[in-house]
Parts: sequence; C-alpha cells; structure tokens
Amino acid sequence: MAAIHGDVHGHGHDDHHPTGIMRWITTTNHKDIGSMYLWFSLAMFFTGGFLALGIRAELFQPGIQILEPELFNSFTTLHGLIMVFGAIMPAFVGFANWQVPLMIGAPDMAFARMNNWSFWLLPVAASLLVSSFFVPGGAAAGGWTFYPPLSTQGGLGVDMMIFAVHILGASSIMGAINIITTILNMRAPGMKLMDMPLFVWTWLITAYLLVLVMPVLAGTVTMLLTDRHFGTSFFNAAGGGDPVLFQHIFWFFGHPEVYIMILPAFGIVSEIIPTFARKPLFGYSSMVYATASIAILSCVVWAHHMFTAGMPTVGQLFFMYSTMLIAVPTGVKVFNWTATMWRGSMTFETPMLFAIGFIFLFVIGGFSGVICAIVPIDIQVQDTYYVIAHFHYVLVSGALFSLFAGAYYWLPKWTGHMYDETLGKWHFWLSMIFFNLTFFVQHFLGLAGMPRRIPDYALQFADFNMISSIGAFGFGMSQLLFVYIVIKCVRSKEAAPEKPWDGATTLEWTHLPTPAPYHSFEKPPVFKPVSH
Amino acid sequence: MDEHNKPNASMLQVAKAVLAAFIGIRKKDDLENDAANIKPSQVIIGGLIGGAIFVVTILFVVKIIVN
Repeated sequence: MAAIHGDVHGHGHDDHHPTGIMRWITTTNHKDIGSMYLWFSLAMFFTGGFLALGIRAELFQPGIQILEPELFNSFTTLHGLIMVFGAIMPAFVGFANWQVPLMIGAPDMAFARMNNWSFWLLPVAASLLVSSFFVPGGAAAGGWTFYPPLSTQGGLGVDMMIFAVHILGASSIMGAINIITTILNMRAPGMKLMDMPLFVWTWLITAYLLVLVMPVLAGTVTMLLTDRHFGTSFFNAAGGGDPVLFQHIFWFFGHPEVYIMILPAFGIVSEIIPTFARKPLFGYSSMVYATASIAILSCVVWAHHMFTAGMPTVGQLFFMYSTMLIAVPTGVKVFNWTATMWRGSMTFETPMLFAIGFIFLFVIGGFSGVICAIVPIDIQVQDTYYVIAHFHYVLVSGALFSLFAGAYYWLPKWTGHMYDETLGKWHFWLSMIFFNLTFFVQHFLGLAGMPRRIPDYALQFADFNMISSIGAFGFGMSQLLFVYIVIKCVRSKEAAPEKPWDGATTLEWTHLPTPAPYHSFEKPPVFKPVSH
Repeated sequence: MDEHNKPNASMLQVAKAVLAAFIGIRKKDDLENDAANIKPSQVIIGGLIGGAIFVVTILFVVKIIVN
C-alpha cells in the first residue's frame, strides 16, 4: 500500500524517513509494518495455496500422477506450516499493527523498532521453509506436526524447518509483547479495559496465549534439534526417551495455537456484525468473559489430539470432557452474534457477507470438533479426512473468512479508496461455494475411512476426491480475484467516503480522516465511552 | 489504570466473577460492580484457582465414572 502512504506524506508532517526500499526496511511506523505483514501473509497464502493445489491435483484421481510420494509428503507438511505460521498468524498480526493503535487512540505501537524486527524475521523464516525444497533430501515430510521419529530421521530440510520455526516463534513472541504493552499502556485517556473494542480485547488475550505457548514450541523444536545432532534422547525410545513426550509438548503449544488463530477472528467479526446490523454488540462483557474463558480452557485440552497414541481411560475422559466444555463459551459467542443481528437494520456489504459466512461455517467446524472430541468417535476418524474437513472449516471458513471480512471492512480506512463492491460480493460467493465443494465432501471421505497424508487411495474414494479437487482449484482461482480487488482499490483514483460504514463506532472511524494519516493520534483523542 | 485506590472485593464476589467468566455470561450491573470493586490481581489469582478447581472437578467426575 505504498501508493497511499506516499499521498498522505504531504500533509505537513516532518517526515524525514528514507524513501524507496529503505523506507520499508527501516520503517518503525505501525501502518507501514502492518501493510508489510499483510502483503507478506498474502504472498505466503498463495505459496501455501500452490502447495494445496499440488496436493489436490495429485488426489484428483487414484494412482500416482504428478507428485512422487516423498514430494507429496513435503507438500502436505509445508502447506500446513506455511499456512499456519506464514499466512494466518502474520495476517492477524498485520491487522493488530494497523488497527490496535487506531482503535485505542495510540500514536504507534509501544516498541516501534522491535516491531520492525519482528516483521523482518518473517521473510528469513519463509525463505528457509521454501528453499528447503531444493536441498538434498528435500523439505520436511513428516507432517506440519513434525512428530518424531519421522522428524528425527529427515535430512537438512528438517533442520531448516526447525530454524524457521525458531525464528517465527521469536517473531511472534516479540509481536505479542508489543501488542500487550501497547494495549495496557497506550490507550486514550478515559478508555478503560472494558471500553476497548472487542478486536483489541481478543488480541490482548491472544497475545498472552502467544507468550505462554510459543516458548513451549521453541523448547520442543530445540529438543528435536539436540536429538538430531547432539546425541540426546528426549524422543528416542532406544535411548530411554519417549516419542509420546513430543506429542504432549507439541500439543500443549498446538491447541492454544488453534485459539491464537481464531480469537482475533472472533474480534474482527465482533466489530463487523454490530456495524452492519447498526446495533451495539449484544453481551459485550460476556464476549470478553467468553474469550478469556476459551483461552484458559484451551490450555487443558491438548491431549484430545492424542487419543489414539495410548492413554489411560481416565486421561481420555478428562480431555474429552474438558474439550466438550469449550463449546459452552464458544456457543455464548455465536449466540451473541446472532442476537446482535436480531432485529437489526442489516445490510449485506462484502464484510458483512464474509462475517455471516464465518458464523455459519465456523459453527459447522465447531460441531465437527465436538464430534471429534468424543473418544470412541475420534478413534474411528483420527487421521482421516474427517479431521481435515473439521480443521479447514475452522481455519479457512473461520480464520481466513474473518481476515477477508476485516480486509474489506478496513480497506477504505487504510487506502482511502473504496473497493469494488460487486467484485467483493463475487469473491464472497465464489469462495463460499468452492470452499464447501472442497471441504464438505471430505467429511464423507473421512467417515468412509480415507486416511490423510496419502498420495494415492482406493477406488471407492475417487468421486468425492474429484469433487474436492475441482472445488480446491475453484477456491484457489477465486482468491486471485481478491488480489485484483485489493490492487484495484489501492490504485483507484476515487476517494472513499470519510465514513463508508454508518454503523461504525470505533475510534478509527469516528476520530480519524479517511485514509488514516501516516501519523495518527499524535495527540490522544478525547474518548467518550459508548454504552455496550 | 487507577485500581490502587479501589476497595477490595470479597472472596465471594471474586469467585462469582470468575465463575461467570468460565461460563462466559455476566449481567451488566454485576459487571460494573466487578469493575468498580475487584482489582486485576484478584481476578488473576481467582482465575488461577478457578482453573485448578475446574481441572480437579473434572478429574473427580472422571474418577467416579471409572470406578
């Protein structure tokens, strides 16, 4: 979004920052860094998407067509890693960079230079991941969860993945500390915690989760590294270690990670639904409480990912019950969004369509999650396409749809131009149709017993796989439309209205011009709490 | 934040607030009362104790079922 910032520089500020490429390398401006995060995550989204299409092309028909099994495994592994750590997480951090200061009335992030550093670590990690395809032995191929012994046996590609995860973890921790400090210390005078917009609340809680679990991930991959190169046996049964230990530590990180990717999505949707229903959010405080509750519960459910790894019945029941109880606060949220829309003066612009699509499809993903939480069912469906369908409903139609919703919602504020509403609606409906075409049928494949992470399959799975592959290519192509819409919006000559959404009540819409100037809230705004 | 001058809430009020947080539902009046009377440190300690009680309760239920 360089073009926009170039325009607003002329507004009389004493900006003596470098121009050209050095501007982006040295920038400490939260808007510049936010934009870089968003463009980076978009690039990674297409990289991960390319791998996904490779997977789906191979699975279009039974038999081995275009990918050798080893390369296929690398594709599934890197697809997961790139989408989780390269696309979804940085995209939410990009939103936080842009929106948190604007929504709390702060001039910038608390640690501006650390902000720059946390971004510039990302391309290094991404390069490590992508280039690992070209080293001897190829990229890591043990799945995005890199369970030993597969991950203790792989080649150089696994080491590159381990370093990439270290770097991404460091970046996330720095980003989280920055967000926590900004929110706790830099709110506009008069804005109490319970006055903060929901997006800021969900990010505050997410940031605490990040600080809690990213060091655990770093510890896990370090243990993996020492097992691989320094003769330790943390995860090696032959040396007195235990491979199941890895699973416990990994999922102690991994399950809160799921909520790290979905809580900010809840925040974005909680901003958009009230705006387009023209009503205050129903149950603001219960939304905050439910978010905190989900975050706490997310730390005591990790072993539901390991029901078939061997576990006493007491353990299975404990993790089954605790997992099912998460449905309670999540249900409260879905109820609140629905109640917000109830008798609202709703209009259905693209952000609202994506937000409603989010609620509808996330609920499906949530329900299939409760189904997977039931031990006897999980033992049947674990490692099948049912699980793939479940978590894509949570992460694609959950996290990704909310990112699209947020992008359309704030594009006018970021760029000063309106996106093409007709094309936006096309993007939504194409995504909606092709997403369901891709993933709904995978429930049937999973129930019929098709295992995940395989390049070939038995003939009875052929029809649904063909449908799923057609859907995947349709979904992938539809996302090119999103890129076109964003570029068209950025390059547009037509100015957006000052406040395109008449129902918006947060500071960035009420106290700042459109587009937001390069330096905003140099003087703290006068904040008047609105009744929730 | 100027919570330092605020009066301390009773244990019962903190427990109620934490329980409400676990379920995810809180009345507006009660919330305002909480915000006025409970210090953040009380909520954090209450939340940790609540989390521990939650875990122990599920374990207790599981033990009963298994036996």
